Amino acid sequence: MAEKVCLQPCLGLRKEAVLARQALYVVHEDMMPDQTVLGCGPALNANVQEDVDFIALYPVLSVEACELDCAAKLIQKKGERAARTLRIPELVRELGVSIEALPEEHIDTDDPAVQAVAARIAEHARELLSQP
Amino acid sequence: MAQEQEFKVAVLPCNGIGRLVSTVVRLAGYKIRAMRPDQVVLLSSGRLAVKEPEHLAAFERYPVLVIDGCRPRCASFMCDELGKAPAARLYVADVAAQRRLPIAGEKRRGLTEKGRRLVDALAERAVEEIDRIIADEMLSAL
Repeated sequence: MAEKVCLQPCLGLRKEAVLARQALYVVHEDMMPDQTVLGCGPALNANVQEDVDFIALYPVLSVEACELDCAAKLIQKKGERAARTLRIPELVRELGVSIEALPEEHIDTDDPAVQAVAARIAEHARELLSQP
Repeated sequence: MAQEQEFKVAVLPCNGIGRLVSTVVRLAGYKIRAMRPDQVVLLSSGRLAVKEPEHLAAFERYPVLVIDGCRPRCASFMCDELGKAPAARLYVADVAAQRRLPIAGEKRRGLTEKGRRLVDALAERAVEEIDRIIADEMLSAL
């Protein structure tokens, strides 16, 4: 079983990407600090050793803001594959969260939408941790 | 008839997630676009890293202002990787030092007024560069 999961967001500019980013801070800092690492896309692209190690050592949960799947593609570019890919548009549909109602550039981590998305991402991370 | 020229700058903030300065850079990017909506094309480092065609086209078409948050200077790396010399580069620590704006105690998940002062300073500095780059482009076209 894996020791940790690497959370790898696409880090785009759209609202869904901001929601993902904020939710991942909640997962990593509040919910699963010892069981997750937070992968930084631009650092991985620049071959920063810590981020290269993250995707080599741990199963990667890529969190995407749209269908372009930029985080998963970046992981492939660096020779690895995401163990699981979550897409925020699908996640918010399942959760009944209205993207339109969320602010554009910054969403507080206390926002119920951020908390709901974080809880769902954490469920997926725990599933990955439990896999042999 | 001469083709109308479009004077714009592509702004590439690193948009990382790991550090406090990542949040400063990200929010400055939006502010820069709001301050110069007709002159700025805001690029997503995530899309550019995987060469998403629309972003790559804007990157290639316009002069680029790079904004690096932390020491690996990942946005600069991306520019180098794609074979383009930026028209200007900004580094958050330089702006923080010049304007004497410490952000110790701030949190990456959300800034207070203290952190937002650095966002504002970075955006103002970026807009100075954008205005200079566009003036240079316009004068060079005459």
